[in-house]
Amino acid sequence: MTCRKACKLMPLFAGDDLGPRRTRAVRAHVGACPACRRELEELREALSRFKAAATAESVPDWSEGEWKALMVRAAGGTARGGAEKGAWGGRALLPRWAAASALGALIGLAVLSALLRGPGPGPADRPEPPLALADAGRAQDVVSMTMVSQETGLQIVWFLDRNFDYKGEQE
Amino acid sequence: MVLSGRAEAFEPLVTPYRGPILALAYRLTRDREDAREVAQEAFLKAFRSLGRFDLSRSFRNWLFQIAANEARDRLRSAKRERAAFEAAAREGTAAGTAPAPEAGRERRETRSGIMRALDALGRREREVFVLRDLQELDIRETARVLGCSSISVRVNLSSARRKIREAIRRDFPHLEEQR
Repeated sequence: MTCRKACKLMPLFAGDDLGPRRTRAVRAHVGACPACRRELEELREALSRFKAAATAESVPDWSEGEWKALMVRAAGGTARGGAEKGAWGGRALLPRWAAASALGALIGLAVLSALLRGPGPGPADRPEPPLALADAGRAQDVVSMTMVSQETGLQIVWFLDRNFDYKGEQE
Repeated sequence: MVLSGRAEAFEPLVTPYRGPILALAYRLTRDREDAREVAQEAFLKAFRSLGRFDLSRSFRNWLFQIAANEARDRLRSAKRERAAFEAAAREGTAAGTAPAPEAGRERRETRSGIMRALDALGRREREVFVLRDLQELDIRETARVLGCSSISVRVNLSSARRKIREAIRRDFPHLEEQR
């Protein structure tokens, strides 16, 4: 094992949180590498000091009155109801469930409406080319390209023939 | 008894965990007031959900799970509130009204250095670190409480320990010097 790999695994090794195979590998490396051994000692020392400081730190506690009031509130909650949904499943999960169902129904409706509507308008339904291009040949031989300026909103339609030769334009 | 609906049996059941749950809530929220509310809500939810408690599980870990979820929800809504407050404060400043000097600081507490070191961790890292290293759950229990994989716990734990070590080096050099 390389020092780099050992250092990567060091935080988990320091807390005995590696699997047996890796634990053996890191232990063997640390046994043979003074730099990694020092690193491990420092890490363990820092974590143990942190834990000691955290344990000694004052954390809030319940006053007896608060605790009793909480227990009374809990008991009151049962009396109110069985009717009250479990906060765990009921209140938290029902809206998600309802939203998912609504979304599913919407998607279903959209798919159904797309299927019932049938195919879109065919080439026969397309508008005729402008009169100005009547001499450009048969309608299906004309290709139009519409350019829209985002700044001015101006539209220009270019008409091209089947060989993509320019045939005219219309604003 | 409590599973069969006897409310008076609930108190002896949860009393051994009143301190640990409040401590967990405090370490996750880093605010005494929030911690108290989180712990209260966790106990109330536990009571209401007792019917769904899986008897094969550890009751303590189940309580921890409820408290950790509650703390996460609390932190999320606090973050949203803070963002809304900051947006409102920015608008107020833009409109020429000076923000109240104490605004936003009302609930801030003087935090100990330890808590500042925990601040260096991301949400998941802090949850994993607090449960594994301070509450002393093992990796599997921690994963179960947090509803994630053991691999995720290991990844976050490794990163959290590394950051804590760096924070101690940076903020508590005297601890290093004592070596």
